[in-house]
Amino acid sequence: MRSRKRVPRAAASTGTARAGGRAPATGTVERPWMDVRDLWSEALAGVLARPTRSALTTLGTVLGITTLVITIGVSSTAGNQIVGRFDALTATSVTVGVSSADPAGPGPLVDWSGVDAVRRLAGVESVAAIAASQETAGVEVRADDVAAPGEVSGQTMAVVAASPTLPAAVRGGMTTGRFLDDGDIARHDRVAVLGDQAARLLGISSVENAPAVFLKGQAYTVIGILGGVEREQQLATAVILPPTTAADRMGLGTVTRVLINTALGAAGQVARQAPIALAPGAEASLTVTAPADPAEARKGVQGDVNGLFLVLGLVSLVVGAIGIANVTLVTVIERIGEIGLRRALGASRRQVAGQFLVESTTIGLLGGVVGAALGVVVVVIVSAVKEWTPVLDVRLALGAPVAGALVGLLAGLYPSLRASRMEPVDALRS
Amino acid sequence: MSGPPFSVVPDADTVIQLIAVDRTFDSEPPVHALREVNLTVRRGEHLSIVGPSGSGKSTLLNTLGLLDRPTSGTYWLDGVETNALGDLERTSLRGSRIGFVFQSFHLLPYRTVEENVMLAETYRRPRPGRGRAGRRARAEQALRRVGLAHRAGFRPDRLSGGERQRVAIARALMSEPALLLCDEPTGNLDSENTESVLDLFGRLGEQGMTLVVITHEEAVSGRAHRRVRISDGRLTEEHR
Repeated sequence: MRSRKRVPRAAASTGTARAGGRAPATGTVERPWMDVRDLWSEALAGVLARPTRSALTTLGTVLGITTLVITIGVSSTAGNQIVGRFDALTATSVTVGVSSADPAGPGPLVDWSGVDAVRRLAGVESVAAIAASQETAGVEVRADDVAAPGEVSGQTMAVVAASPTLPAAVRGGMTTGRFLDDGDIARHDRVAVLGDQAARLLGISSVENAPAVFLKGQAYTVIGILGGVEREQQLATAVILPPTTAADRMGLGTVTRVLINTALGAAGQVARQAPIALAPGAEASLTVTAPADPAEARKGVQGDVNGLFLVLGLVSLVVGAIGIANVTLVTVIERIGEIGLRRALGASRRQVAGQFLVESTTIGLLGGVVGAALGVVVVVIVSAVKEWTPVLDVRLALGAPVAGALVGLLAGLYPSLRASRMEPVDALRS
Repeated sequence: MSGPPFSVVPDADTVIQLIAVDRTFDSEPPVHALREVNLTVRRGEHLSIVGPSGSGKSTLLNTLGLLDRPTSGTYWLDGVETNALGDLERTSLRGSRIGFVFQSFHLLPYRTVEENVMLAETYRRPRPGRGRAGRRARAEQALRRVGLAHRAGFRPDRLSGGERQRVAIARALMSEPALLLCDEPTGNLDSENTESVLDLFGRLGEQGMTLVVITHEEAVSGRAHRRVRISDGRLTEEHR
């Protein structure tokens, strides 16, 4: 209805009026129009007219965006580090536990030769079986046969049996001497390997002179000392015997635990296959301890760190938005006269609203840029102090200013509406 | 209701034609601010409207400035019948045909004199030959016309009251309006500054500018060629 109306203009073409650049006598009344560059420069001038106030107004947004960037940046950085540590040891360790007594089966659930079956699985790097029991968890061990009066030279230690591949499986090494071998096992030799702590307690530091230890009064020749144990660290204080010897003399015949080291990423698969290889048909009665999926671990860690601080950052953003809305509203009321003037100069309601909207959006954008920069700096500093590799998402660095601008835009909606609704007559009177 | 005295379209030399304009405010009791106002202003005329406060002066100014709509009657501005126009068209017409001069100047304090003058061209499509690039030059020209070219880079707060009003006049001239609509233009000025502004009005009148000055000051209305008095919403021509 009200679009460009043909309006009769009296004798428009006669042009007897004074010369000059008056409105072209086209007979149409034009509509308000504004160059985008003018809109931008008017809004920018509005923001810069009160620089201190504008700077203070951005503070809420700066805080909110900074908090968000720090939260997301630090947690993704930290998450990566934590996952990295998982990878080193835990992510490749699989342990299969065998319940000590199987009521149904006549024989042992897992045989010592089962170790060989596991070693053939893809992804297995080393594997060893251990036999331990309640009865042999605290055996009195002496380093010599002579009991001097008043002197207690005996120590209480755990005695275990293990397959020859144990040093690799526990990621340890021989401090001195050698580990048990197949010959020892086949011959039922009365030999023993000591954990490095056990050796120190018994005063044995070298195996050159073939020292002996006495278990339940029986002498065993010490052939080596095992050190640097990373898995099954209780082995450091244990006496390790060949399975055959242990079965004969200590009643330690049944495998209770199988230690497996896998290639990186193979743990999950090996954890599924190992029980089947060890005890076909009875795999359900074995308990498998495998590392959590690294991806899930990462997600879990990030979830923990993020939750609270994300909420904190969002709350700051809301507070920032309220701050911008408040100050813009005050500005609108202070500038009623200016609004009236602009309407008198031919500005439409929409153009007035647009200017205030661009002003508040600019303030939000400014807050977002400063906040993103501060956040990134803090993430880098935290990473440097903790000696982490900072993980910075480009989308985060670019998205933060956009988020700030959006906050400003939303905050400016109501004040702009107020500005545009002002009647020019009332606005000019003030 | 008696028929309007003019039923024909005004000619090209008529800038303002009010025909039987009434304005009633729906308050309790209703206020009859303008009654049967007829007024014709020809191009190049220098008219003053005088009257006490509460006489309907402001309502007449708002009506002439397209800031208010009459309740009944017809208002032709520079050959355009404004009654039928929508808000946007009235806004645009106001910006392009009327140069406002206010009692309180209405200069933006945080912009230079030149930027204040340039503001007049912000809200409309550039005319042929009057592009955005030439805006600064045109502002300088408008400032020269009011004798303030040397103040172009100043902030308004460093100018005297008379200089500020002359900047406002330069801003009004910038849009090449059909008329200058002045509301108590010397109300905030001392006698010396009043004189400088009235001299400027005199010069502009000689150059053919149409001037409508609303005032209650004798000195101001005395400079006009023609004087109309408004009281109780009725307009009467004064003959000297």
